[in-house]
Amino acid sequence: MNLSMKRMQAILVKDYKEFSRNLAVSSTILVPLVIALFYSRMGIDTIQVHFMAINMTFSLVATYIQCCLIAEEKEKNTLRNLMLSPATIPEILIGKSMLTFIITILILTGSILLTGYNPGNTLIMIIAFLLSSIFYITIGTLLGLIAKTVMESSVIVMPVFFLFSIGPFASAFVEKYPVLKVIEWLPSTQLINLAESLENNFKVGDLVQPFGLISLWIIIVMILTVIVYNKRMKDDI
Amino acid sequence: MGEVIKVNHLQKKFKSEYALQDVSFEIEKGEIFGFLGPSGSGKTTTIKILTGQLSPTNGDVKVFKQDISFLKSPEARQRLGILSDNSGLYDRLTIEENLDLYRKIYNLKENSVKKSLEFVNLYSDRKKHINKLSKGMRQRVLLARTILHQPDLLFLDEPTSALDPVNKFHIYEGLRRLNAEGTTVFLTTHDMAEADTLCNRIAFLNNGKICAIGTPKELKKQYADDTLTVELKNGQQETISKGATDANKMFDWMQKNLVERVSTNEPSLGEIFVQVTGRKLV
Repeated sequence: MNLSMKRMQAILVKDYKEFSRNLAVSSTILVPLVIALFYSRMGIDTIQVHFMAINMTFSLVATYIQCCLIAEEKEKNTLRNLMLSPATIPEILIGKSMLTFIITILILTGSILLTGYNPGNTLIMIIAFLLSSIFYITIGTLLGLIAKTVMESSVIVMPVFFLFSIGPFASAFVEKYPVLKVIEWLPSTQLINLAESLENNFKVGDLVQPFGLISLWIIIVMILTVIVYNKRMKDDI
Repeated sequence: MGEVIKVNHLQKKFKSEYALQDVSFEIEKGEIFGFLGPSGSGKTTTIKILTGQLSPTNGDVKVFKQDISFLKSPEARQRLGILSDNSGLYDRLTIEENLDLYRKIYNLKENSVKKSLEFVNLYSDRKKHINKLSKGMRQRVLLARTILHQPDLLFLDEPTSALDPVNKFHIYEGLRRLNAEGTTVFLTTHDMAEADTLCNRIAFLNNGKICAIGTPKELKKQYADDTLTVELKNGQQETISKGATDANKMFDWMQKNLVERVSTNEPSLGEIFVQVTGRKLV
C-alpha cells in the first residue's frame, strides 16, 4: 500500500485550521477535562471512577469529534471532492483521523493526570489506550459517514456515548438482568477488565481476551467503515 | 487526435425509470463538447457515469480509451477535473487555504494556486474567507480549484450559472486558453449563447436520449428553414425563399434600390432545441 504523507499531512493541517475556527465542536474537548477534575476533587480512587473519565474522553473526543468532522465534510459536499481527487481511501481516512487521534491522546493524558490514575503496567495500558483510540475514531468515522448532517451526527453519537461510557457500569445488574452480559464484550468493559488485571499479579494469558476483543471490534468497525465509504463514493440507488 | 471519451448505447436505470435510455457519442482530444438539455434530461447522470460516481446499467463507456473502472485509480483522478453543482468548499478557510489543500493533494508547485486564482480573477481576494463570499465568487473559487492541476479532461456542470457577464467573459477567455493548451472540455449548460460561443460540438439531450449532435454551424444549417428576411427601406419586412422562385422579387427590389438589409433565417441553438424536443430549456 502506497501512502502519501504529504497528502495526509495536508488533510491534517486543513482539519486543524477548520477545527480551531469551529468553537461549537472544539469546545467539546474541555468536557472530559472538567469531568476528570470533578472526579479528582471527589477523592475516590477506584478503577471504575478513573475509567468513567477515560471512557468519556474516548466517546466525547475520539468518536464525537471524528463524527462531526466527517459529517461536516459530507454535508458541505467536500468529502466527495476529496474522494474524486488522487488521494486514496487510506490516505483520506487516515488523514481525516490524524487530528482526532492527536487531540484524543492529549485530552486522555490530561484526564489521567487530573484523576491521578496510575496504571499497574504503564506500557501495556498505553498500548490498550492507543488501540481504543483507533476503535473510537473508526466508529466516529463510520457514524459520520452514515449521518446526513452535523446536527444528525450529534444525535446518532449519543447511543455510542451511553453504551461505551456508561455501559460498563450496568454490569453490576447482570445477575438481575442476564441480557446485560453482552456488556462484558464491549471494548470499554474490556479496557476496565485489563486495567483491573494489571493491578494484580497478571499473567500474559490475562491480556489475550481484552486485546483480542478490542482488536476484533476495530477490524469489524473498519470493514463496515470501508463498505459505507465505498457506498458514499457512488450515487447508485 | 484520438477520442478521449467514447460512449456506446449507454443506459442508466434508477429503480424502474430510465434516466438514460440510449446515449452514444464520442469526444475527440482538444474539443469543447457541449451537452445541452433541460433539467432532468440526464446531463448530470452522464457526467457522474463518466467520472466514476455512478455505474451504468448497460452500454460501453471508455474514458482515455480505458474502462470506467480505471476512473477509480489515482492516475485517472490526476487527469480529471470535475466541477459539479454539488461541489463544496471549506467555509471556515480562506480561498487560498482551500486551493492549497488541493495543491498538496495533487502534488503541484506553489505557483499553481496563484495561476489558478488569476485565471478566475480572484488572486487579490485570496485571503478572504469562503463564508464571506458571494455565490458568484464561490463559483469562481470552485472553478479555480477544478483547473488547479490543469486536467486533461475537464467536466463542467453549468460553470457560469451564477456569474455576471464580465466574469463570464473572463471565464470564457480562460477556458479557451486552457483548451488551447490541450484540455478537453465536457460542458453542460442551459445558456445557449454560451454553448454557441464556446463549443466545437454540441449534443442535445432529452428524456435520456441524444436527439441532435453536431457543430453549432452544422446544426443551424440542418435546421434552417431555407428562407431569407429582406428589410426594405420603407420599413417593410419580407420573407422570401432562398431558391429561384423568389429571385425575380429580390432582383426587382434591388433594381429599385429598396433593399435596406438581408439576413438568413438561421435558427438559434435554443430554437433548434425546441424544434427537436418540443420542450423549452428550463
